Amino acid sequence: MTPRHHLDPATLVSHAAGALSPEMAAVADTHLEGCAYCRQQLAAAERVGGVLLSQQQPAAPEPQQAARLREDMLARLQQPLPAAANEPSETTNAPRSLDALPRPLQPYFGKSWKALRWRWMAPGVHMIRAPRSSGDTLILLRIAPGKSMPVHSHGGSELTQILKGAYDDELGHFGPGDMADLDSDIEHQPVTSPGVPCICVAALDGPLQFRGWLARKLQPMVGL
Amino acid sequence: MRSDSNRGNLSPFEAARSMSIAEASPGDPGYWSGQMQAVARRRDQTCFMRIYDHFAPRVRLYLRGLGAREAVAEELAQEALLRLWQRADSYDAARSSLATWLFRIARNLHIDRLRRENQWIAVDMEPLEFEAETDNPAFSSAESFAAHADLNERIERLSATQARLIRMSYFEAKSHQQIADELGMPLGTVKSSIRRAFLRLQSGVQEAT
Repeated sequence: MTPRHHLDPATLVSHAAGALSPEMAAVADTHLEGCAYCRQQLAAAERVGGVLLSQQQPAAPEPQQAARLREDMLARLQQPLPAAANEPSETTNAPRSLDALPRPLQPYFGKSWKALRWRWMAPGVHMIRAPRSSGDTLILLRIAPGKSMPVHSHGGSELTQILKGAYDDELGHFGPGDMADLDSDIEHQPVTSPGVPCICVAALDGPLQFRGWLARKLQPMVGL
Repeated sequence: MRSDSNRGNLSPFEAARSMSIAEASPGDPGYWSGQMQAVARRRDQTCFMRIYDHFAPRVRLYLRGLGAREAVAEELAQEALLRLWQRADSYDAARSSLATWLFRIARNLHIDRLRRENQWIAVDMEPLEFEAETDNPAFSSAESFAAHADLNERIERLSATQARLIRMSYFEAKSHQQIADELGMPLGTVKSSIRRAFLRLQSGVQEAT
């Protein structure tokens, strides 16, 4: 399925620059796995990085330092080449099990959909929070079909990738593979589609505290 | 004075130029890719060290900007260049310029280091490598040299603010929020400025195709 909602170019620039937190990067990579358009945009953003790297104007290094590093490099060239990295065939060509979580999420949530341990948060809302890492928050959310969320806007930066199911809001229809990379001033009211639960992965910049709509939805119920 | 050489009639500048054309010079489009291909085909150490001498100081400076201490930047830059040597076979000039390839390697090493040092979730793989689609004409080899030069020019022509935000993103790996805090700009303004800057740079690339 070709995604219709993409990463914001500003987010792609951050990703290319290595400036996204690991959590944000995991969500962005989940989208990129399934989106050729964003992969091309990312490649373009990396080209900017390449040009900027070539534009660097280093001061001439001290002769001693330069000689030492050069010698070190020449010595390393004499070492035998490491065995060719031969992971790709298995990881990229093997048909992916239906039970497999997207690869970028596996370090945080494990490999298997079935093994996920969902926690009840509110009627129709289940969640799993990834172990704390860099300070940003990474969560899996499962929202029952046909549920209407309160109108909300997003506080800081937030990336949400739809994994299963779908929802509709003022911005359109968001289905599997779509990315909601919204400006903080956008207000919207998602309604999950009938049929199957909507499962998404979201990265929020900031500490444990939930922001935006989730907080408003959950605060009264779980006392966050 | 020997008269059999045409070079005798050339000014020093022209002589240097004619020599550099014979040997190809670093300013030529595709020069670095050519050096890299020699490394891939013949394991040519001389060509590799040319690449090393040019790029290692740039990579070190880049890593310093990202906050690495001098010793760490040195070590990571050596490591980045060594990977270039080790993986020369997989370099595809049609897909990216050498500088872009090296940028990605250095950036990934930096990300790895951050994760290890901070004991963040161990992602026991390199940050995912996505290959640009090769059937896209925008990524063909001839284009990529032109695009590289063109991009260079476009970066020079960004507004002062846009250039600053792009540099803070790439050279300091700052998040939008950090940039907003540091410059006292609203987050939305930071994002829209970076977005516009990137689209401007990109339209340059597309015009080149």
